[in-house]
Amino acid sequence: MNMETGSLVPSFVVFQVGRRRVALSREDVAELIASPLLFSFPHTTPLITGVVLRRGRIVPVLDLGPALLGAPSPPARFFLVVERRISNISERCAIPVQGECELVAGIMMPAAEQDDFVSGCLELNDEQIDVLDLEKAIAAGARAEAETITAGEALP
Amino acid sequence: MTQKVSQSLMPRNSRRREQVAVFSIAEYSFVISAASVQEIRSTDSLGGTVVEMDRPVLRKVRHIVERDARAYYVVSGYEHFHLPQSRPTTVLILRSAPVAVLVDRIEEMAEMRVLLALPQSFRGEERTWYRGLTVLDRKVLPVANPLGFLTAGDLQQLEEQNPGLLQSAAAQRVERGRG
Repeated sequence: MNMETGSLVPSFVVFQVGRRRVALSREDVAELIASPLLFSFPHTTPLITGVVLRRGRIVPVLDLGPALLGAPSPPARFFLVVERRISNISERCAIPVQGECELVAGIMMPAAEQDDFVSGCLELNDEQIDVLDLEKAIAAGARAEAETITAGEALP
Repeated sequence: MTQKVSQSLMPRNSRRREQVAVFSIAEYSFVISAASVQEIRSTDSLGGTVVEMDRPVLRKVRHIVERDARAYYVVSGYEHFHLPQSRPTTVLILRSAPVAVLVDRIEEMAEMRVLLALPQSFRGEERTWYRGLTVLDRKVLPVANPLGFLTAGDLQQLEEQNPGLLQSAAAQRVERGRG
């Protein structure tokens, strides 16, 4: 994935979670990496499936599947490393993605989608691609996962 | 408790090293500073000194164990970390808190060369459970916080519901020793 564009038109990284193609602003994305070894340990934070070691740093892995698909996303060959701002601290996280990632330039249009984590949409080869607000998507995924767990606990 | 938490791996010689015990519960491995552990015992060897609590207020604490004139709350490791039921065979008696932790087994003693901060993305109980993360044999492992097994609030709750139980258990042990 080539991250260099000289255009003034905003650019976006289009990626796939499960069967759903979505986009993030290029500024949110640091790199695309081949799926490294995932380490998991007990914790209670929704969406985090483990951590990976990347250039000597610990990078949490966040599955957007619960927000975008309503279920965990399938196994991934690549992780999209994104930049988050948490309590004014910048932190990199890895999102498991399926299929190809593309860097595209385009104008974001208002979203037709009702999901509150969709900040707009791109038209790409007659396809409407939702552009995500990453923090809202993470929050929505956390809510969805919590609801799934609550429903599961309520089962006899 | 010898080193500051770091954001990244540093040249190994620039940091103080720390002896640790690697223990397992269910399918997971954890690290704990050897300095924070007073004693490691087999659960079989504790039989006569374990007292069942009349009023357990925390699911993970149901017993008290007496050792050397001190009493400790026995914390179930798998309940603490919300793991499926496991088969603890070993108890870690901690030095800095009245806590004895049931774990499945000790895997090894090792030298920890780096302590990495838990990423901010982790927002749950793990921020209390762990001092951070470390890398041993190319594996990332959580470093247990010895003060995280029972927080000050937990200890207060246990004491309020079972007033004087720890002290009396320890005192009885001393009396028995004199008799």
